[in-house]
Amino acid sequence: MRRWLREQFDRYFGSDPVRLLFALGGLFFATLVVLALLYWVVGKVVTAGLEAWGWDLVRLLLGLLGVMVVVFGNALFLVWAERKVAGHMQIRIGPKEVGPYGLLQSIADSVKLLAKEIITPRFVDRPLYLLAPLLIFVPCLVAMVVIPFDARLQVRDINVGIVMILAFSSLTVLAIFMAGWGSVNKYSLIGGVRSISQSIAYEIPMLLSILPVVMMARSLSLKEVVEAQSPYWFVLVQPVAFLIYFVCAVAETNRTPFDLPEAESELVAGYHTEYSGMRFSLFFLAEYTNIFIVCALATTFFLGGYKGPVLPGVVWFFLKTYALIFVIMWFRWTFPRVRFDQLLNFSWKFLIPLAMANLLVTGGLLKL
Amino acid sequence: MVAEDLIKALEGGDLSIEEVPYQQRGYWFDIKAPKDRIVEVAEAIDERGYYIEDVLCVDYVDRLEVLYHFNHWEDPRRLSVRVEVAPSEPELPSIWRVYPGAAWHEREIHEFFGLRFKDHPNLAYLFLHEGIDFYPMRKERVEVSEEDRRLLNYLPAAAEEDTFWINMGPQHPSTHGVLRLILKMRGEYIEQAEPVLGYMHRMQEKMAEVRTYQQYYPNTARLDYVGPLAFSLCFVGAMERLCELEVPERAQYIRTITLELNRISSHLLWLGTFLLDLGATTPYFFAFDDREQILDLLEGLTGSRLTFSYYRIGGLYEDLNDGFLEGVKRFVERMWKRFEIYDDLVTGNIIFVKRTKDVGVIPKEVARRYGATGPTLRGSGVPFDIRQAEPYAAYGDLQPEVVVGERGDSYDRYLVRLEEMKRSLRVLEEALEKVPEGPYKLEKVPKKPVPGDVYFATESPRGEVGIYIVSDGSDKPYRLKWRSPCFSNLATFTEAVKGQLIADAVATLGSLDLVIPEMDR
Repeated sequence: MRRWLREQFDRYFGSDPVRLLFALGGLFFATLVVLALLYWVVGKVVTAGLEAWGWDLVRLLLGLLGVMVVVFGNALFLVWAERKVAGHMQIRIGPKEVGPYGLLQSIADSVKLLAKEIITPRFVDRPLYLLAPLLIFVPCLVAMVVIPFDARLQVRDINVGIVMILAFSSLTVLAIFMAGWGSVNKYSLIGGVRSISQSIAYEIPMLLSILPVVMMARSLSLKEVVEAQSPYWFVLVQPVAFLIYFVCAVAETNRTPFDLPEAESELVAGYHTEYSGMRFSLFFLAEYTNIFIVCALATTFFLGGYKGPVLPGVVWFFLKTYALIFVIMWFRWTFPRVRFDQLLNFSWKFLIPLAMANLLVTGGLLKL
Repeated sequence: MVAEDLIKALEGGDLSIEEVPYQQRGYWFDIKAPKDRIVEVAEAIDERGYYIEDVLCVDYVDRLEVLYHFNHWEDPRRLSVRVEVAPSEPELPSIWRVYPGAAWHEREIHEFFGLRFKDHPNLAYLFLHEGIDFYPMRKERVEVSEEDRRLLNYLPAAAEEDTFWINMGPQHPSTHGVLRLILKMRGEYIEQAEPVLGYMHRMQEKMAEVRTYQQYYPNTARLDYVGPLAFSLCFVGAMERLCELEVPERAQYIRTITLELNRISSHLLWLGTFLLDLGATTPYFFAFDDREQILDLLEGLTGSRLTFSYYRIGGLYEDLNDGFLEGVKRFVERMWKRFEIYDDLVTGNIIFVKRTKDVGVIPKEVARRYGATGPTLRGSGVPFDIRQAEPYAAYGDLQPEVVVGERGDSYDRYLVRLEEMKRSLRVLEEALEKVPEGPYKLEKVPKKPVPGDVYFATESPRGEVGIYIVSDGSDKPYRLKWRSPCFSNLATFTEAVKGQLIADAVATLGSLDLVIPEMDR
């Protein structure tokens, strides 16, 4: 049976990398759909039951648990997916030994990271150095709370959800700078400094690109933003804002071509040079969670969130989010890294004026 | 002609100028100068636009002889300026003010021979570590003087206000091996760059003196592990010149084919790693995929994939194997199509162009005074190539076109290397048609060359590699000196990165295509 399957597989996808990529993509989405359906069913049952009983605290705790599951599951999946995507873009296969299609590779990796020795260099600024990997994780969890995965699948619908997410995501840069400063390493410090100026430069256009959406939805609640996109998605009326948001999202998550704070070939590993074992993997985890969050927000703001025909909302949500994540991965494996001054110039001299103009035009049109 | 003009200007007084037979010696003019006039002679040479090739020293026990090799881009006839120094009073004026590139060569001579250069900006040790207590290249044991001992532990001066030192390497992802750069930074801007060599130093030149020529030969492939064939050929060619051997035509053509294959493979490796330095990971795999094809071909021919020891004095180790020529033909056809991928992925990429344009500019004049050669020099717009200037192997028949850049920045160096691969493919196509039948090696090759000295230069993928051998008629070289292209090319780095960002330093370093073992020897 297995042999037959293998033969069939070889026959259809055998040596052609493009076909294999399509096959992988199909598989990827199939697993996604199955997972999301499961999640949706469980979520439906739990939320319905709880709402009937009104156990608010339990619901919150369950929500947090769900958020943790999403965070870790997403990170595990993204690590694998990134390696697979990278592999196929670079004429290789990527992980294939652990589990079917190497799916368990990231679990093996995390076990390895857990087992690694945690080294603390002697001259570090201890409180900052130890706190940084924990702090970097907080904003990710908070942001997860307000993201509407489905019409009824949201831990808390806060009426200032957008403000909260933006406020907390600025905290990430603080944690990065703590890591850079606390490590007492020149490379880490340069990484931290770069991170701050990059974050300041890109948070402004990001905010400016979200404002038109808020203006159109007339609400700061994420759920209402999604609901406001009922005839058409905002990306159709706000394409410029979407592009600006997406560029800023890549910059905010420190991904190539904007991965300057951890530029490998320049700063060794930037702000997390001196971290090892589980502390390092916390940075890693935060990075992947951040990617998920920015893409989830892009989905929410511009791509109609959980809205979509036939399939349940949560499936649409994950489909859209992971499609965006794929684009970000695509960037990473195609582009070289930009230089620091070019990065800042791009934001201050191009993105911010463009976002401002877009905001003005939107405001004017809405007033009319 | 430039050389005649120079001779006319220098002639007379205590200088002796002799024209030597190029076919046997590898250089054209032998100028013997007294040591207090060397700066003056260097100035006269500099005026006429010569570039510095090498500075080296030979210990003849009763005297130390310092040799300065100069060559000219338009009139490529090598000058050898020779200065005698008494071992009892080992001092010589430095010519670094005329040729700043000589400074490193002089440092090297100083640590190996104990020869002090007056008026030198920094005589700190370049290659040797602090445990060494004698001058290793001297024929007799001479203890390190008190004065020199203090130079062993070289540390830069303390940073001024608002600046700090950053130590790049010897363990750093973008120094590709064990190069160390001490950078004086003001924020992210570089004020001063000080390369520190010697982490890969193996005393290759001393090793040569204690091995027979045949025993030393495999070492030549261990200098530059990316383009080893050019180094092997340099050694073999020098020996053939010294023994006056006529190598069979077939061997010369096969040498050319393998050399060009090796050049392409080296440029491909450079392409991959250079883009890795700029943060693009994917081209690396494409480049290595292509390189693999070459390595497979060469493995079939020579038995090894990295340190080929394929050439022999007077020919080759073995004749071509079945299918090699067809394999090369297939590879050439495949490779032509691959450039589209590189152009798509890299050349037109706006981020790449912005990262490399006007970054690490090496003007012609700097290249000349530091003795930069190879694609680094051609990127600066000088059409100089040893394959044309002094044809070796079968390059007399198969002249590759020389590619030049315009501005001398990292982008030009990239374009030059990419274009050079295409020209190499053309040479390969032509050579495949022309490979003659016949013997692939000489039947009889002398084990001991005649006494004398010889210089031989080849164009390695990184630039001009030269070898200077002094033979005393025994089966071991009396003195063997490599002229390493990376050594001189790296010296220009200090000039090229001043005032640039740390990211530019990485791009510049990558565009110079350094191979550390070759530089450290």
